[in-house]
Amino acid sequence: MQPLNMCINTQTPLVQFTAAQAPRSGRRTIAPVDLATLTEGVDYRYSPGGVTRMVLPLVRHMLHDQILDEAHWVALNPNAPATVRMSGMTLHSVTLGPKRMASYGMVKEAIWGRVHGIDDTDYHDDLLWTEAFSEYAYYNRITSELIRKLDKKHDFDVFYIHDFQQIPIGHMLTTLKPKIFRWHIPFDRSTIPQHWHALLATYLNSYDAIVVSSPRYADSLKAFGYTGRIEHIYPYVDPKDYSDPAVSDVASVSERFGVKDDDIVALVVARMDPVKAHDRAIDALAELASSFPRLKLVLVGNGSFSSSRDGVGLSKSSRWRAHLEEMVKRSKLEGRIVFTGHLSQHDLDCFYERCSFTILPSVREGFGLVVVESWLHRRPAIISSRAGIADLVREGKNGLLFDPDEPGALARQMRRLLGGHPTELSKGLIRGGSLAAEKCSVEAAVQAERALLTEVMEA
Amino acid sequence: MVDLYATLWSFALAGLTLLLTWAFAMLASWLIGRFMRQSSPQVTSGARRLGAVVVWLIGSILAIQELGVSPLILIVVIALVGIAALIAVREPLGNYGAKYFTDVYTPFKVGDAIRVQGYAGKVIAINAITTVLLTDNEQLISVPNSVFITDVVVNTTPQAWKEVTIPISIGPSIDLPAFESELLKNLSKLKLRLDRQFPPLLSTKSRTPQSTDLTLTVMLRRPEERDAVTVEVNKRVAEVLERTRTNRR
Repeated sequence: MQPLNMCINTQTPLVQFTAAQAPRSGRRTIAPVDLATLTEGVDYRYSPGGVTRMVLPLVRHMLHDQILDEAHWVALNPNAPATVRMSGMTLHSVTLGPKRMASYGMVKEAIWGRVHGIDDTDYHDDLLWTEAFSEYAYYNRITSELIRKLDKKHDFDVFYIHDFQQIPIGHMLTTLKPKIFRWHIPFDRSTIPQHWHALLATYLNSYDAIVVSSPRYADSLKAFGYTGRIEHIYPYVDPKDYSDPAVSDVASVSERFGVKDDDIVALVVARMDPVKAHDRAIDALAELASSFPRLKLVLVGNGSFSSSRDGVGLSKSSRWRAHLEEMVKRSKLEGRIVFTGHLSQHDLDCFYERCSFTILPSVREGFGLVVVESWLHRRPAIISSRAGIADLVREGKNGLLFDPDEPGALARQMRRLLGGHPTELSKGLIRGGSLAAEKCSVEAAVQAERALLTEVMEA
Repeated sequence: MVDLYATLWSFALAGLTLLLTWAFAMLASWLIGRFMRQSSPQVTSGARRLGAVVVWLIGSILAIQELGVSPLILIVVIALVGIAALIAVREPLGNYGAKYFTDVYTPFKVGDAIRVQGYAGKVIAINAITTVLLTDNEQLISVPNSVFITDVVVNTTPQAWKEVTIPISIGPSIDLPAFESELLKNLSKLKLRLDRQFPPLLSTKSRTPQSTDLTLTVMLRRPEERDAVTVEVNKRVAEVLERTRTNRR
C-alpha cells in the first residue's frame, strides 16, 4: 500500500491554546502557525485523555512507519489559529459562535447521556426535532464543508472520523473515497431511543467501515442494521508516553496534595462527570473508613473539552464536583478524599506510582484506558463490569470486577486488596495486567489499523 | 460630427436598454419566485431562469434595434437554430424534459424498487435520458425517462408512500450550513404531520462551483396528507432559501 494522505476528524482538538495565542474575534490568521515556535504549557497544551490521547500516538506511528504520508486533523477549536503545523501533521480549526455552541453542546450531551444509559427521560425522544438539533447539524455541516475544501486542495486518500459527535459527517461528506468511523463510546442498541434509529442508521451506513472498542458493541451495531465492515480494535496508548518518576518526585507530589508516607492510596483517574461514578468510590471508602484508617481516595481529573470555558462550555463537571464535595462532607470523609483537578502527565505518573491500586468505577464506559495506564505502572485495578475493557479482564487474574449498581460490591473488592494477604493477589493481578496491556499498545493498534486501511482501500 | 453624436446616442440608449433589461430580469425572477412559492424549489428555480432568459432576449433585441440594426435577422437566426435543434434532438430532449419533471413529480428515487411497462428492478441511476434498473437476475434495463410521464409506475419499496423527496438547487450565494440549519428548524414545526421516527434529512447529490444539488427527504405520517405536506414543505424551503440569500447579502 502506498503511503496515504489521511484526513482525521475529532470534536476535541489535539492542542488547546491559551488566551494569549487565541485569535481575537474576527482576526483568525490565514497563515499557518508553526507549533514548534510556541511553548507547551505556556502557549498551548495537549488535550488530556480521551480520543486525542489515543489518536495522536497512532498517527505518529503511522507517519513513522510510512503508512501515512501526511495527516490533516480537523477539530472544533474556537480559540485556535485556523491552521497549525506540527511535525507531519496539519491541524485545522472549526469555529462556532457561543449561541450555536451552547445548542450543539446540549444535543451532544443528550446523545451521550442516552447512549451511556444515564439519562432515560422521554424528553430526548424528540431531540432530533428540536431547534438545538439544527445547530448540531450546523456544526457538522461546517466541519464537513471545511473537510471538503481541504480535500479539494490536498486530495485525501481516506477520511477517518472519530466519535459520536461527528457521526453526521459521513453522510454530509459526498465523496466516493473511503470513510471510516470510530465509535468510541458504548454501543448498546437497547439504550438508543426508537425515534433515533432511522437517522442514526442512515448516518452509520454512510461509512465504509466502523471501528468499535469491544466485541459486544460490534454485535449490537450489526443488530442495529449497519451493513458495512465492522472492526473491533482495542483502544491503545503508547507505553513510551509513561515515565517511572523518581522517588523524590513521587514524595513531593504526594506531599503537595497532603498524602502522607503511611497513607494507603486508592486512585481514580477520571474526568468530573456523573458517568464516571466517583460517588461509588466515595461510598466504598465510607464503608471501609473505620477498618482502614490510613486509606485515602485520590480523585484525579477535572472537566473535559466539553466542560472547559474555551471548549463547548458545559458546566456539568463543576456541578458534579460540587455534588461529590457535598457527599464527602455528609459522610464526614474530609481529609480522606483528595481532589487534585487536572494533573500534568508527570504528576499523574507520580500518583500511579504512589497508589496501591486503581479503581474505574464508571457506570458506563466505552473502554477505560486508565486501566491500561494502571497496568503499565504495575498497579492492580478494580474495574466496573460496565466498562468496555471488562471484556479483557479475567476476574482475579488481571483485574477485579464489580457491578457499580450493586451496593457494597466495590468495597468488597477493595477489601481483598487491603486486608488478609494482598501481596500474592496483587502480584498476580500485576502480572496478568502487564500481559493484557500489550493488547492495548499502540504497536498492536498500528498493525490492526494498517490491516483495516489496506482492506478498505483495496476492497 | 452629427453622425458621431447620433452614434454615441444610439450606444447610450442601447446601454440603457441593457441596464433596464438587467433590472427587469431581476424583477421577473423575483416575481416568479414569489408567485411559485408553493411549487417545488427546482421547478421554481427553472421558471425563474426561464423568465430571466426571456426578458434578456427581448431586451437584447430592443438594444440591437437602438443601434439601428434590424432585429429581424437575429430573430430569424434564433428561430431557425431553435427549430433545427428541436428536430435533431427531439427524442433525447423529450427524455431530458421528462427527467426534469420526473425528478420533481414521480415518486421514486435511486435505491427504490419499481415496476414499469412490465419491467421490475431496483433503480440504480437516473440520468438525463434514461432511468437504469437492476433486475433480480442482475440484468440492466434502461427505461427512457419519457415513459415515466406516460406510463403507470409502481414503487414497490416498503413504506414508499411515506417518503417525499424534494430536489433543491442552491447557488453560491447561499451558505449551505446556515440554509440547512434554518430549514431543519423551520420544518420541525411540521412534526405533527411528519413521521416522528424520520426527521427531515438533507443530502448532497452533486456539486459544481456554480451550484449544489440537494435532496430533502421527509416522511409523512398520513398518506392522505401527501399533497398538502408537499406544498407546505416546498413553501417553507422557498422561504428559507429567500431568507438565507437575503441574510448573506
